[in-house]
Amino acid sequence: MSQSSAPPTAAIRRPATTPMRLGAFVNDATVRAIFYQAVTFAAVVGLIWYLVSNTIANMATRGMSAGFDFLDVSAGFNIAFTLIPYREGDSYLRVFQVGIANTLLVAVIGIVFASALGLVVGLARLSTNWLIRTLARWYVEVLRNTPLLLQIIAWYFGVFNLLPRPRESIALGGFMWLNNRGAYFPAPVPQDGFETVLGALALAVGAAIAVSVWARRRLRETGRAFPAGLVGFALVAGVPLLVYLALGAPLGWNWPALRGFNFVGGFSVPPAFCALVVALSIYTSCFIAEIVRAGIQSVGHGQTEAARALGVKPSRTMRFIILPQAMRVIIPPLISQYLNLTKNSSLAIAIGFPDLVSVWMNTSLNQSGRAIPIVAMTMGFYCVVSLIVSFALNAYNRRILLRER
Amino acid sequence: MKMGVSLLMAAAAMLGLSGAASAQQTLEQVRSRGNLNCQVGLPTPGFYALAANGTWSGMDVDMCRAVAAAIFNDPSKVQYQSVTSAVRFTSLANGESDMLSRTTTWTAVRDGQLGLEFAGVNFYDGQGFVVPRSSGITSARQLDGATVCVLTGTTTELNLADYFRANNMRFTAVTNENVNVLVETYLGGGCDAYTNDKSGLAARRSAFPTPNDHVILPETISKEPLGPVVRHGDNNWGDIVRWVLFGMIEAEEMGVSSANVTQMLQSPNPGIKRLLGTEGNVGQGMGLPADFMVRVLRHVGNYGEVYERNVGANTPIGIPRERSLNALWTNGGILYPMPFR
Amino acid sequence: MSDATRPEPLVFAPKPADPPPPSSIGAVGWMRANLFSSVPNALLTFLGAWILYVTVAAVLDWALVKAVWEAENRRQCLDMVGRAGACWPGVAAWIPNLIYGLYPKDQAWRIDLGAVLLVAWALPLWLPRVRSKVAIGLCLVLLFPLLASYLFMGGAKGVVWTAAIALGLAAFLWCWLTALAEMRRGISFGALMARLLGARDDARAARIGQASLLALYLVALALVLPLELVEVPTRLWGGLFLTLVISGIGITFSLPAGVLLALGRRSEMPLIRVFCVTFIELFRSVPLITILFMFNTMLPLFLPAGVEVNRLLRAIVAVCLFASAYMAEIVRGGLQAIPKGQYEAAAAMGLGFWQSTGFIILPQALRIMIPSIVGNFIGLFKDTTLVSIIGLFDLLSMSRAVGEDTRWLGLFIEPFFFITMIYFVFCFLMSQYSINLERRLGAGQRR
Repeated sequence: MSQSSAPPTAAIRRPATTPMRLGAFVNDATVRAIFYQAVTFAAVVGLIWYLVSNTIANMATRGMSAGFDFLDVSAGFNIAFTLIPYREGDSYLRVFQVGIANTLLVAVIGIVFASALGLVVGLARLSTNWLIRTLARWYVEVLRNTPLLLQIIAWYFGVFNLLPRPRESIALGGFMWLNNRGAYFPAPVPQDGFETVLGALALAVGAAIAVSVWARRRLRETGRAFPAGLVGFALVAGVPLLVYLALGAPLGWNWPALRGFNFVGGFSVPPAFCALVVALSIYTSCFIAEIVRAGIQSVGHGQTEAARALGVKPSRTMRFIILPQAMRVIIPPLISQYLNLTKNSSLAIAIGFPDLVSVWMNTSLNQSGRAIPIVAMTMGFYCVVSLIVSFALNAYNRRILLRER
Repeated sequence: MKMGVSLLMAAAAMLGLSGAASAQQTLEQVRSRGNLNCQVGLPTPGFYALAANGTWSGMDVDMCRAVAAAIFNDPSKVQYQSVTSAVRFTSLANGESDMLSRTTTWTAVRDGQLGLEFAGVNFYDGQGFVVPRSSGITSARQLDGATVCVLTGTTTELNLADYFRANNMRFTAVTNENVNVLVETYLGGGCDAYTNDKSGLAARRSAFPTPNDHVILPETISKEPLGPVVRHGDNNWGDIVRWVLFGMIEAEEMGVSSANVTQMLQSPNPGIKRLLGTEGNVGQGMGLPADFMVRVLRHVGNYGEVYERNVGANTPIGIPRERSLNALWTNGGILYPMPFR
Repeated sequence: MSDATRPEPLVFAPKPADPPPPSSIGAVGWMRANLFSSVPNALLTFLGAWILYVTVAAVLDWALVKAVWEAENRRQCLDMVGRAGACWPGVAAWIPNLIYGLYPKDQAWRIDLGAVLLVAWALPLWLPRVRSKVAIGLCLVLLFPLLASYLFMGGAKGVVWTAAIALGLAAFLWCWLTALAEMRRGISFGALMARLLGARDDARAARIGQASLLALYLVALALVLPLELVEVPTRLWGGLFLTLVISGIGITFSLPAGVLLALGRRSEMPLIRVFCVTFIELFRSVPLITILFMFNTMLPLFLPAGVEVNRLLRAIVAVCLFASAYMAEIVRGGLQAIPKGQYEAAAAMGLGFWQSTGFIILPQALRIMIPSIVGNFIGLFKDTTLVSIIGLFDLLSMSRAVGEDTRWLGLFIEPFFFITMIYFVFCFLMSQYSINLERRLGAGQRR
C-alpha cells in the first residue's frame, strides 16, 4: 500500500498559485485520504451510536440491568476446583477471580506440556525411523483434524473416567495417586524460615544469570568456553538446598490420605482438569510439531553441512547453528499457538472444569442473569491477555528483525 | 466494516428479518406472527422430548401447545426454541421467546430481579440423590466428603451447596450442563452420587445398564416448583398463560377431559359452564374467546391427561402421581387451581 | 555398451556394480534401514508398535467386535453387552437427523439437490481445457448462495427473489455451457453461439453473445417461475447440513472482508488503519465461544425493538466476523510475501492503488494463501461445534439429542464417536487437498 498509492499523484499536484480544478481536487491523494477516513469514521461512529442507543432503549423497556452491583452478591454455588481460596458464600467478584486463576493455570501448564510434546513430535516427524515418522505424521493428522471439543470429551470419558476408583488408586512413586476423582499430591506447607530458602533461591538464580552473561562475554572475547549451564544448575539447585538443610528443613508436607469416600488433604486436581490439560496439550502439540518441523527445515541444509565440515559436534550444530536460526521462524507462530491454547481452554465448559467461561460466563450468568456485564468482563479478560502477549511478541519480532542484515 | 454492515443487511433481508409491533403487546405479536415462540430446553425426556422424526412432546411442550390452542385453536402453531439453560432468561428477556416452558424453578431472585414473571406451577419437583447400592449409603446425611455429579446453571447446583453447608458436610462437585455426561461420569465411578430433580432421577436410573444396582435416596433436599415463565411488564400475557394452566387443572378437578369435552358443553354444572365459556366470559378480559378452554381441552387435554401421557406411571419416566405433590388438592396433593369465575 | 564394438576411441566403461547385499534390499533391507537401524531406533519401533496396538485394539473391540448392530432400544443393547460394546442401532435411527437436522424428511431432497448442484458447479474448475475458471469460480461464490438459499428455505418468492433465483440458475447453466464449449471447441459459450449463428464481425459476435446470455436468463426464468417450494424455517435446519452452511457462509464472507481488512491494516490512512487493527485484534483475541454468546444474547438488544433476528443468522454473523479477522491476518501474510519490486513495478507502470492491488498484488498473494485459506476453513469447520452451546442443532447438538430420545436414553458415546468420524473424514480430506495444492503451487517456484 505504502509503495503503491503515492507516485501518480505527485505529477498531478499543481503549484498553489493556479486555481485547483475539481478533477485535480478529486485525484489529490491527501484529499481523498481525508474523505475516505471521514466517511469510515462517520460510518463506524454512527454504527456504534446506533447499536448503543438501541441497546439502552431495549434494556430500559425490558427491565434488564447492566450494572455491576451484583458483583458483591454472594454466589452460593460450589466450585469443584479452585486455585485460590473460595467458599460458597463468597461474592461473584471472587468467582471471576477464581475463573481467571483456573484459566491461567490450565493455560500455563498446557503451554509447557504442548511445547515439550510438540518439540518431540516435530523431531519425530523428521526421524529416520519409518514407523516413528509415520506414527508422528498420523498423530498430527488425526488429532489436528478432529474438533478439540470432541477430543476433550473423548479424553475425559476414554481415559480419566476409566481410571480405578479411589480405593484402588494407582500410586505413582509413592507420592502421587491417580483415580477417577483426580490426581492427588502432597501439598507443601511452608514453616518458619522457609522465606530464607526462597530468598536463597532467588539469589542463586540471579547468580546463575550473572555467570551465564559473564561466560558468554568471555566466549566472545577470548574464545574460551565456560560450562555456564552446569555451574548455573549447581548454583540454583545447590544453594537453596544447603540453606534448606542448614535451617533444619522448614517445610512440612500435607499428605493426601484415603478417608471416607476419597483422598483427603494434600493438593488435588479433578479429572476434568487432567482431561483438559492433556487434550489441549496434545491438540496444540500437533500444530507446534508442524511449526518446529517447518522451522528446522527452513534452515538450509548447507548450514548443517558447513557445520560438519568445520568439525562442529552434531549436538552443538543443533544448539548453536540450527536452532537459533530456526527460532526466528518458529517463535511468532508458536506464540499465536500459545494464545490459541489459552482461548481454547474455554472449551472446558464441555466437561465442567471451572475455567473462566464455564464458571463465569455460564454458571454465574445463569444464576445471576446479568448477561451484559458478565460477557463484557469475560471478553475483556481475554483481550487483555492477548494484547499483553501481542505486545511482547511484537517487541521480540522487532528485536530479531533488527539483527538481520 | 462498511462492507460488513451492508452484507449483514443483505443477509438479514435474505433470512427473513421481520419487523413486529411494540414489545408491549405480546398477544398481538403472537397473533400477527401466526405462531407462538415457546422456549423449551435441550431435549429432555418427559418434559421436552425430541423424537427422531423431529416432533416435540412432554409436559412443558404441552403447556406451549395449550397456550397455542387457546389463541389459535391449533396446538401445532408453536415454534419451539430449544435453548441452553445458560441463555434461557436472556432469550426471554430480549424478546426472542414469548414464553418459557422448561422446568424452571420459581425463585424470588428470578421473579424479582431478572425481569421475569412466573405464571404458575405445572410440576412440583424436589431434588434427590441416586447412589450405587454397593456403597451401602441409605441417607443423604452419609454423603459427607462425597463427590457429587450435578447439573450446572440450575437451582440444583445451589441447593446442593446449601444442603451440605446446612448440615456442615463437605463435598466435591462435578458439574456439567449435559445430563448424559454426568450420568456417564457417575456410571464410570467418577462421582459417588448423582443429584437432580427426582422427576429425572427415576427415568435416568431406568436407562442404567443395571438399574437395580442403584438406589434413589429418600431425602428430598429442595422445593422445585417448576412452571411457565413470561416477561415482566405484559400482565395480560401473563394472565393468559396462568389461566390456561389453572383451567387445565380445574378441568381435571371437574372431570372434564378431551374425551368428554363435547358432551360437557351441555353440562348444567355452573362451574363447568364457566370453564367452558357457555356461561359468563372469563376469556374476554384477556383477549381470548369465551371458549378458549374448550380449545385447550379438545386439543391438549386436562392436566391429568397431560401428566399421564408424558410422565405418568405407564410411561418410561414413570412418576406415580397418587399422593404425590402433583395430585389434586382433593386427592392429597397440592395442585389447587384458583377459582375460575 | 554399443561403443565397446568400435575399437577407437577408447571409452571408459565402468564394470557393472555388484548387486546390493541381500540384507539391504527387499522387505528385510527396508526394515533394517527404516525400523531397526540402531538399538534406540529398534526400541522406538517396538514402543510405537505397542502404542498403536493398545489404542487401536481397544477402540476396535468396543466399536466393532463387541458392538450391537440390531436392537429395538438401548435397554436391549445394555442387556446384551452392557457398556462394553457400542450400541449402533440408536445412531442408525438418528442418522437422517444427524445429517439433515429437523429438516422435514420429505423435503430433504432439496438439501441433496443443493449439494449436487454445488459439486456440479465446481466440477468445471477441475476439468482440463476450461479457460474461464475465474469467471466460473466467481459465479459459484456469488450466485450459488442465491440459488441455494431459496432451495433450502423455500416459501413465497417475490419479484426480486424470482429474478435472483433465475440469475443463479442462469449462471449455473452458463458455467456448464461455457465449460462444455471450451472443452470441445476452445471458445466460450457466447463466442460459440456467435460462430454457430454466423456472425461476420466482432461487434455482431459480441451482440449475439449478449443476446444468448439474455436468452439463457429467460430460459432460467421460465424454469424458476413455476417452481414452488414449501417454506422450511431455519430453526429446523441442523446436523451436518447446518454445520456446512455456517462454515460455508463464514468462509465465503470472510474472504472479501478479510482482504479489505488486511488492506486497511496496511493503509497509510491512520483512522482506517486504527479501525482495522482494532477490529482484527479484538476478534482474534477472544474465544469464538464468547463472540457467539455475545451475539446470541446481545444482537436482539442491538437492534430496534421489535426487529427479530433469527438464531441462525446471529450465529452466522458471529462466525463471519470472527473468520474475517483471521482471514485478514492470512491475507496480510500473503501481501507481505509479495516482493517489494512488484509494488514498485506496478507503481512505475502508472497503476493506481486499486489497479495494482487488484491486478498485480492480490492474484499473486491469493495463490500463496490458498493453503492457509483451506487451513482456515478446516479450523472454521471444526469451530462450528461451538454453535451447539448457543442452542443451534448442529452436528454436536444433534448427537446429544440422540441420548435424550426416550428409546435411546443415555446413548451418548456412540453418536459422539460417529460425528467425530464425520468431522475427521471431512477435515482430513480437506487437509490432504491443501497439502496437495501446496505441492502443486510450489512446483512452479521450486528450482
